[in-house]
Amino acid sequence: MKRLSEERTKILFEKLSKYIGTNVKQLIDRADGTYCFREHRDRVYYVSERILKLSECFSQKQFACVGTCFGKFSKTNKLKLHITALSFIAPYAQYKVWVKPSFEQQFLYGNHIPKSGLGRITENAAQYQGVVVYSMNDLPLGFGVLARSTTDCKSADPLTTVCFHQSDIGEYIRAEDSLF
Amino acid sequence: MDVVQEVLEKHRKELDKYKPITVEKHLECRLDVGTLLITDPNDLDDRQIASAEKENYLRALTRDNTQLLVNAIWELNTERVDESIVAKLPEPTTVLPRMRKPPGPRVLTKWEKFAKEKGITKKKKEKKTYDEVLDKWVPTYGFKRAEAEQNKDWVLEVPQNVDPNTDMFQKKMDLRNEKVAKNEIQRMKNIVRAKKIEMPRSGYLGPEAATSSQLLTAVTVAKSSTASVGKFQNKLPKEREARGLGVKELIPGAKRKQSHIADQPEKEANLDLIKSVLNKKPKLDVEKAISLQKQDERLARDAESGNKPAKKSSKKGKGSRKAVGKKPKGNRGQRAPGKKAAAGRKRR
Amino acid sequence: MGRKAEYSEKQKKGPGRKARKQGPPTFPKKSFAPLEVEDQKLSHRQKQRLVKRVQKKVVQKAKLKEKQAKGKQQVRKQKTYNSDSEPEDEVKKQQSSSDEEVPQLVPIPDIVKQKTIKGFTDENKDWLKLKKQQKKVLPKPEHESVDEDNSDEEEHSVGSDAEEDSEAELDSDSGNGFEADSDDEIEEEDSEDDGYDGTKVGKLDDLSDDDEDANSDDDFDVSDAETADSGENASDDDDDDDDDDKLPIERANKRLKKREAQEALLAEEEAQMAIDQQDVFKFPDENDEDESGLTLQEVQQRIKDVSLVLSDFKKYRQADRSRGEYIDLLRRDLCLYYSYNEFLMGKLMDMFPLTELMEYLEASEVPRPLTIRTNTLKTRRRDLAGALINRGVNLDPLGKWTKVGLVIFNSQVPLGATPEYLAGHYMIQGASSMLPVMALTPQEKERILDMCSAPGGKGSHIAAIMKNTGVLFANDSNRDRCNAIKANFHRLGIVNAVISCEDGTKFRNIISGFDRVLLDAPCTGTGVVSKDPSVKSTKSEVDVQRCYNLQRKLLLTAIDCTDAKSATGGYIVYSTCSVLPEENEWVIDYALKKRNVKLVPTGLDFGVDGFTKFRQHRFHPSLSLTKRYYPHTHNMDGFYVAKLKKFSNTIPLTKEQQEDDEKQLDEAIPTDQSTNVSNEDDAGAAEDTDKSSRKLLGKRAGKPNLTDIEAELKKKKLEQSKTKYVAKVFEKPIKVEKKPKANEPPVPPNLSTNGIQEKTKNIIDKKAKLKKNDVSALHTVLPAAVNGRGSNDKKQSAPAAQFNKKPSTPSHQYNKKQSTPPTKSNKGQKTLGAQSKKEQPAQLNRGQSPPAPQPKKDQPTPTIKSSKKELTPGAKSKKEQSTPSTQSGKTSKKSALVPKVKVNIDDLPILEGKPIKKQNLKHKSKQIGNLKKSKSGINAKPQTGNKQKFKNKK
Repeated sequence: MKRLSEERTKILFEKLSKYIGTNVKQLIDRADGTYCFREHRDRVYYVSERILKLSECFSQKQFACVGTCFGKFSKTNKLKLHITALSFIAPYAQYKVWVKPSFEQQFLYGNHIPKSGLGRITENAAQYQGVVVYSMNDLPLGFGVLARSTTDCKSADPLTTVCFHQSDIGEYIRAEDSLF
Repeated sequence: MDVVQEVLEKHRKELDKYKPITVEKHLECRLDVGTLLITDPNDLDDRQIASAEKENYLRALTRDNTQLLVNAIWELNTERVDESIVAKLPEPTTVLPRMRKPPGPRVLTKWEKFAKEKGITKKKKEKKTYDEVLDKWVPTYGFKRAEAEQNKDWVLEVPQNVDPNTDMFQKKMDLRNEKVAKNEIQRMKNIVRAKKIEMPRSGYLGPEAATSSQLLTAVTVAKSSTASVGKFQNKLPKEREARGLGVKELIPGAKRKQSHIADQPEKEANLDLIKSVLNKKPKLDVEKAISLQKQDERLARDAESGNKPAKKSSKKGKGSRKAVGKKPKGNRGQRAPGKKAAAGRKRR
Repeated sequence: MGRKAEYSEKQKKGPGRKARKQGPPTFPKKSFAPLEVEDQKLSHRQKQRLVKRVQKKVVQKAKLKEKQAKGKQQVRKQKTYNSDSEPEDEVKKQQSSSDEEVPQLVPIPDIVKQKTIKGFTDENKDWLKLKKQQKKVLPKPEHESVDEDNSDEEEHSVGSDAEEDSEAELDSDSGNGFEADSDDEIEEEDSEDDGYDGTKVGKLDDLSDDDEDANSDDDFDVSDAETADSGENASDDDDDDDDDDKLPIERANKRLKKREAQEALLAEEEAQMAIDQQDVFKFPDENDEDESGLTLQEVQQRIKDVSLVLSDFKKYRQADRSRGEYIDLLRRDLCLYYSYNEFLMGKLMDMFPLTELMEYLEASEVPRPLTIRTNTLKTRRRDLAGALINRGVNLDPLGKWTKVGLVIFNSQVPLGATPEYLAGHYMIQGASSMLPVMALTPQEKERILDMCSAPGGKGSHIAAIMKNTGVLFANDSNRDRCNAIKANFHRLGIVNAVISCEDGTKFRNIISGFDRVLLDAPCTGTGVVSKDPSVKSTKSEVDVQRCYNLQRKLLLTAIDCTDAKSATGGYIVYSTCSVLPEENEWVIDYALKKRNVKLVPTGLDFGVDGFTKFRQHRFHPSLSLTKRYYPHTHNMDGFYVAKLKKFSNTIPLTKEQQEDDEKQLDEAIPTDQSTNVSNEDDAGAAEDTDKSSRKLLGKRAGKPNLTDIEAELKKKKLEQSKTKYVAKVFEKPIKVEKKPKANEPPVPPNLSTNGIQEKTKNIIDKKAKLKKNDVSALHTVLPAAVNGRGSNDKKQSAPAAQFNKKPSTPSHQYNKKQSTPPTKSNKGQKTLGAQSKKEQPAQLNRGQSPPAPQPKKDQPTPTIKSSKKELTPGAKSKKEQSTPSTQSGKTSKKSALVPKVKVNIDDLPILEGKPIKKQNLKHKSKQIGNLKKSKSGINAKPQTGNKQKFKNKK
């Protein structure tokens, strides 16, 4: 359990800001206490300082996890956001994509979203904008990046991919071993 | 008589000058004539050593012992060779210690070591092989081999994907030279390895020779070779740090972990970072600009056409559906969403 | 529950396992249903036998004819007789057998009699036989011969089938001839058939009984037919009289009624028969029983039979069989039928009465309904139910006791993969798993520990109740299962959790001061047999023992981790998914003894109260506050929940330690009189056995009984230690009752105190642990008053320890360096090792403490040197030597109190009777043995100091 280096913190914030933009600030500047990011075995955890202190009694080896895991740094110092971060990304998301109920299940199996599966989309989203994917009844399903800007989407043909899949809640089952 | 006496006297006097060749010893000395070694086991006379006569005493003792050795030598068979008398010394019986340790077996080269590990044995090649092109026996290697090669490859094909003006002979020569050079380097390396000499692992080997990782290591090492262990060296964007075996050892002080925790409280530091991240100047995104432009145009068009859009859109929706006439895909519609060609074919 | 949630939903196939299992009953042996043979195809041999039988019959008939001719006159006389009950049969048989020499003539008298009654001739018999074979072919002659009534009936029931026909025949004319024949057949079968064992003794009673049994299906038994017949006969006569003046319809009606009455009678008879059949359950012979040959149905039937026998043992038992044998048989059958192993089945049979046991076993076979728990952090139950119903799930709220549970009846989608599940709106969790959390009643902003958390079902429930405030520590020792916790917690959106994979028993060293602790201990899983059937066959005594030892450790750790001073909490909830009392009540009972905790109501308003007694064990009465759940009563997995409240953070001295102290005090008293010492050893031995037997109910209650091997081991160890140390002498428990005899008048107070001590000991056993302190105080005061020595109470010993501290500090360090954990010695030689260890400081002290104080030498003691000699049992001198050693041992123990108090709790072996680090101990004790040889009564000074302190207190 250690503090992230400045470089890594920066990478983390850059990554987060792709999805939630200026709302990144909300994660740090919270009214209900100090929250911070910690690194444990290359994974980034987001946790209240109060809980963090209590967790320090465990040895590095026996300690498993605290708070919420946001993602994992690769060996090349790239951050991969995990689906577990969704509960903090979804409320702050600026750009959203809704998938049709018929496509929900396919998305949960890790497929990209084609135009035909697209239910709704936030206006003015640019290409490669990070988005949070919702089901039509506003259940956050995962996140990804737009393959087309919103305007392009409208004219795209139904089979073209609109949104690249990055992570979905199906990973809780599919990737339970590698997730934590 | 007198003369005889005199001569004898003289001779005796002369003899008196020399000490007798017989030496008496309390204990017998050990002789090893093979190494011209004599060992005197008798005790030294303490009084003599303590007195002023010490030097004389020792000299006398040495002479006596030498005399014994010479006596022993004279007992050997002698022969005269070119005005000098020569004796053949017997085999030495004393074992002398070595000054240096005996050399071990030759250190294997890298290939030999590898071959031994893998159990690869050398195959004996025939000295001459039959060359079908030349229709004669040519040496496999060595003398006249090159000549044979030349005769054989008197013409070379220029492959299609290569510049037609390239000198293929030169290229072949270069390849060969490279091989030779490489072999030489490896030979050197083998020697170095055998002698266990420290060689620098990294260093600037020249732009041609160094690999990218070697260069990276050199950069990393160079950057950290400052008084402050490179703490204040600027980083280039997307600069990579050399990692892997031995890099850390090359960097002085790198083993000492420097804390990345600054004095600033974490929260403030984070907020500052966030600010810097968010305030980054957006780079000019042409795509985005175009899409925005498009959107504006579309909105303008919609505004122009007044109440049309609704109708239009509805029509469009239906029409498009009809026009596209999606075939039932039998659940295979998503097979290759990335492949555009497939999508086109599907609509045929 | 320590079981990973199974996400894949199991589809029910067909009517379910239970239905599949319970096929139509078949009878285990032919004795139960011999007549079924007719239905079967005959084998070649059987055919041969049949042919023989027919031939024999022909011969018999011929003989019978002769006989009939002979005895015609006699028989005529008996024509008046209407009802032939069995005794009369017997009489007749005797009569007839007197004049008949045919060996297998048992039924023949009947025939004769009936013949005579009905006036059948031999010709009759002939065609009757024939009739049986081809019923429809020859109805006419029969009608002619029988009374009108029946013929009428036959005519009325035009479409009557063959069976009815034959019935009618039997009813009407009581085809006794035929009956007899069939009996005959049976007899022959009996004699010929190897399937028949030697049960058919020549007794007539038996025979008739058997016949009755045999005739269950298609034929009516003799008495049946006869009674019916007789009744009919009687009424028939009347009928015949007034038949003439009644309308045909009236007649028909009458007949119908009669018929109905008959049928009712028959049904009754049949019911009775069924019972009869059961009550003659024959205990299978050990020799000829072939377990492998039994089908499941046969076993099931036997189970039924045996349980019936056991239900009214006096009535149904076989005289030469004991109840134990029946129970053994039942257990074996149950093991076979439900594929349990004998050990587990034995345990279950101990727990449940028979009827309940069957229910339990049956219920354990079928899976419990699938239940889910709403994650209140993300959604509400109503919303979730709506969403799931939209997905085609059929569900219902789970009982009134929970607001978050839903029970799933069926579902078109896999419940472990719906988007709602993945979004963390619910958790698949057994109903029983919600109970411990509800008992725990977590509050917001508390610090709570879930010790064995995987896969995180209960932990997430706690977090949900806490609304993500406070801190939840979820721990599991298995790293892989830790991953399951992580996944589930993240999925359910729990952010206040710290997940670790520590060894649960070490937790107290890591962090403590929790407001509440949930310990869902790893167990044998005997309550969740339906989930994991392998439990039934794999668990053995050792597994259970291993489990409850771990559970005890964990529970003590859990208690230690709790903060008694917490404003809102201080509660520990212990739960297992096992039903065995070893893993439940025993463990709790143990904890009650070891720590300052009390049981409080769980707050669950249903469930069965925990056992306060189980077989020979008696638990603390407050154990009734715990709750048990069974599959058959609550339709949830077998489960156990206990809620404890910690009322003090201090760890009381264990009872064993106290008792050791007491023992030493006791022993110190007799040493005052050197004359009495001689008998002490023998007395001690006697006392030992005496005590152990007495302890069964008291101190040993709730603790594992030592197996023979263990006991033997202990004995061995004791023997070894005898030769090794002088110290063991004072380890011998000394009979308190004997002392009064030994004691001389000058020391009467000892006597009284001993008696009182004895009493208080008993009191301790019986009384609630809450009073423990008081009682122990009583303990200590008494001896203190008498000889002003020693204190048992921890509080009191603490100052003493402090007093001792100064001189003995170096010795403590030494002790620590040795690092052998002071064993907490619950029994004999264990204490030996521990005590000898404790003596060590004393030895060291001697060297370091400036004066060797000798205040203890008030009694004549042999020289210290003499104690070096080895004590051999039976040697007289030994007893004299024992005095100094006891004394010194005692004093040294006092001095050792300090390290004992300071000792890391982890090092204290918690397990009872389990040798922990035996070698270590031995090794150490060797050293000590050496040291001990030059021992003297030191450290008496602290004791005197102690004494003064008491006085001061007073």
